Amino acid sequence: MTLGTLRYISQRLVLIVFTALAVSSVVFLGIHRLPGDAFVSERLRPSQEAALLHQYGLDRPLAVQYGDFITKLMLHGDLGESVANRGTKITPLVLREATVSAEIGAVALLFTVGLGMLFGVSAAIRQNTWTDYALSATSVVGYSMPNFVLASFLILLFGVWLEHITDGGFFYELGWTGTFGSPAEILVPAFALGFPYASIVARLTRASMLEVVRQDYIRTARAKGLVEQIVIVRHALRNALIPVVTILGPLVVGIITGSVVIENLFGIPGLGKEFVQSILNRDYNIVIGVFTGYAALVGLANLAVDLVYPLIDPRIRYG
Amino acid sequence: MARSSGYVRMLGLAVAGMLAVMACGQQGTGQQSQNLASDQTLKFPIGDDFATLDPAQVNAETDSEVAQNMFNGLVKFDNDLNVVPDIASAMPTISSDQLTYTFKLRNDVTFSNGDKVTSKDVLYSWNRAAATQGPYSTNLSAIAGFSNLSSKPPAPAQLEQLLAKNDPSVMMSGLSAPDPQTVVVKLAQPAGWFLSAVALESTTGMLVDQKVVATDPQNWWTKPETAIGTGSYKMSARTPGQSVEFEAVSNWWGSPKPTVKKVHLDIVKDAGARETSYEQGKYDLNGYGGYSNLQVDDILRIQGSSSLSKELKLQPKVRTTWASFNLTCDAARAAKGPFCDQNGSGAKDLRTAFALAVDKDKLVDVVCHKVVCIAATGGLISKGLKGYLGDGADPLAKFDATKAKSLLKSADPDGSKTKGMTYVYDPENPINATTAQFLQDQWQTNLGVHVDVQPESHSQFIRDRLSGKFVLSRDGWQADYDHPQDWFDNLFAKSAGCPDTNCTTGYNNPQFDALATQANSKPVSDAIPTYKQMSQMLVDSVAYIPLYYSVGAFMTKPYVKGAGTNNFFDYYWNQYQILQHS
Repeated sequence: MTLGTLRYISQRLVLIVFTALAVSSVVFLGIHRLPGDAFVSERLRPSQEAALLHQYGLDRPLAVQYGDFITKLMLHGDLGESVANRGTKITPLVLREATVSAEIGAVALLFTVGLGMLFGVSAAIRQNTWTDYALSATSVVGYSMPNFVLASFLILLFGVWLEHITDGGFFYELGWTGTFGSPAEILVPAFALGFPYASIVARLTRASMLEVVRQDYIRTARAKGLVEQIVIVRHALRNALIPVVTILGPLVVGIITGSVVIENLFGIPGLGKEFVQSILNRDYNIVIGVFTGYAALVGLANLAVDLVYPLIDPRIRYG
Repeated sequence: MARSSGYVRMLGLAVAGMLAVMACGQQGTGQQSQNLASDQTLKFPIGDDFATLDPAQVNAETDSEVAQNMFNGLVKFDNDLNVVPDIASAMPTISSDQLTYTFKLRNDVTFSNGDKVTSKDVLYSWNRAAATQGPYSTNLSAIAGFSNLSSKPPAPAQLEQLLAKNDPSVMMSGLSAPDPQTVVVKLAQPAGWFLSAVALESTTGMLVDQKVVATDPQNWWTKPETAIGTGSYKMSARTPGQSVEFEAVSNWWGSPKPTVKKVHLDIVKDAGARETSYEQGKYDLNGYGGYSNLQVDDILRIQGSSSLSKELKLQPKVRTTWASFNLTCDAARAAKGPFCDQNGSGAKDLRTAFALAVDKDKLVDVVCHKVVCIAATGGLISKGLKGYLGDGADPLAKFDATKAKSLLKSADPDGSKTKGMTYVYDPENPINATTAQFLQDQWQTNLGVHVDVQPESHSQFIRDRLSGKFVLSRDGWQADYDHPQDWFDNLFAKSAGCPDTNCTTGYNNPQFDALATQANSKPVSDAIPTYKQMSQMLVDSVAYIPLYYSVGAFMTKPYVKGAGTNNFFDYYWNQYQILQHS
């Protein structure tokens, strides 16, 4: 890794920090503008609710609350405590759940890139054969189907039908164990999350490969007597990947935001699980924490994608 | 073909690999035996993490269902909802004027950290709960001195300091402890509901350890080391937002001694995911812990399955849903509208028209397939509770479109009064949205009146409704304990704040308040006729449109013995046993 690349990474990391801070500020102001609060209850008298708001400092002027919040965040990385689930510190919760979301997202990305490239390359080199038609049709179905529909179908297929067919012998079990889960728990939700994007990658890879394999240098490579596998992998694929890597950034964002639904459907304790309910609960600090976590994840994921470019195209250098 | 078969082979290997890895998640289905399983670990899901387990602050049903296994009070409700002794060795002796209750404590009760429980712990716990002014602090409001406590409680740390010094500002004068095994409670006035209120599981009547609470007055309950109670279970592990574990307290003082050694709760937000995991065998129970709101489609499917239907129990829960009118138009209330009594006798006819125009039988068919709700035909107090009027006894539950139209014509001949009305509801529960649409359709079809429906986020909805902003709105109440006082004092009486504070309807009836005072002072068995008279007053006033009583759905594996629920709460975990199963 060159000094220039290290400098580039440092600059990006600083930018991610500032972006996360900006996101948390905007969300802070937005969520506090919503009517209602976390303590409203049919049983709670107005004086009791006022006492709780005072206890959590939520009756102070917004500017004072914001100053307090940003000071704690910048100096201590402290996102505060949940007001709906009292006593829960937000920073460790967000870090742990972001790890889970990142884990699912990373495996989903492997599906996206791996399956997408596999389908795309296979379809391209077997153009206008049954292989091409089948894989192209699968890709169309893949990116047409919303991920929650696919997720429900996979739960039905691998969680319910497979269990019945094998009489409980083997099947996909919903849920999550421990902090890092297990391969058995990760694969199906990651597939549901990554497959729609794999279909997009497959279409793009196929188109890109079809263009590259018609280039003169590929014909030269074949004429030299190289094995077809080496021609495809070492000569064609690298150039065909450049447009694929270009869209990986938006795809990663899609995977991260798509995790909201997937984590709820599969019972996975990631950031997405907190997303909707925390807003409905007016759990201010968790909402801010979740959005900040997502901003950081998106920033880091895009940085990782950008760092892939030099590996594919040596002409690209940072710094 | 040779080239493509390589890629196809890779595809095939990938799929096979996935299946092989998934095989690691294999699990067998349950088989029943009558012998105890060696692994006495109970697992079930809940839908959200706790708001709090501190008895002084508990409000949500989930928190209550869990905390009831961690904390005890002097008395409790048994499975049949009778008030029985718990930490008290016997029911209290009550003075002839109904003002003094003397409790004798058991001498073998300890907290889970070994600290012995004495009468001082009762005084500390109840004073703390009252001074905290949490959602259920009014359960102690009958005690002399409660009304002198500030409605603006001190911060938790400051409260602990004041309690440690026995500062009068946070002490109820009616509580005393003449010796370590005796607690004397003096009431400000007779209150037949007092024992029911302090028996309410998980709330202000429960005992906490002062020594432990003082170490972290705000968050002592969040960590296993300090979540100390007298219950048969104590928290042993917790991952916020993900899971929590409890283990049986060894040498617990109560009975029956717990057989289940460990209880593991997972937080799974999606109701469908909870049920799927249950059916896969991951969980032993579903619907427990305050999440008995299984999806209607799932319940219908389960009822159609010969195996699963045996595991399903539908239990009426003590929640009634109704539509409320704004009954009072005054300067203090933002809502006006045509239903106010200030508008003359026509207002009551108008309310009656709106009530009779709704086909309640069809309502419960449409909104819940008559599965998770039943028509509310016996008054506001839910079926099965004291004060229930009886099946079909509520005339407001009838459907009479002809009479409704006639009343509307006389009360609002030109339609001007009912123009531009809105029914407000909170959409977080899907049934509320379906109900709103159904009501809109019924009023349009049977009365010819168009009522807009407006969703409002729950948090804001509750606040606005209680501050009297709505002319017509969804309303409801879930009973805390089996006593009519819980309903009337919190919803319609002056003690609730009616007509102008903390009161949805603005109901204003001095005669009703007088009857409430009279009934509340008597033992419940003597007071029932008066409470029923009060229910009748609400009916005569057409104060509401009854809609439905809620029904909870519970799934229990056949190898879990002793598990169950009554109208109010899940049975205590120390009654459960896990039988052998494969």
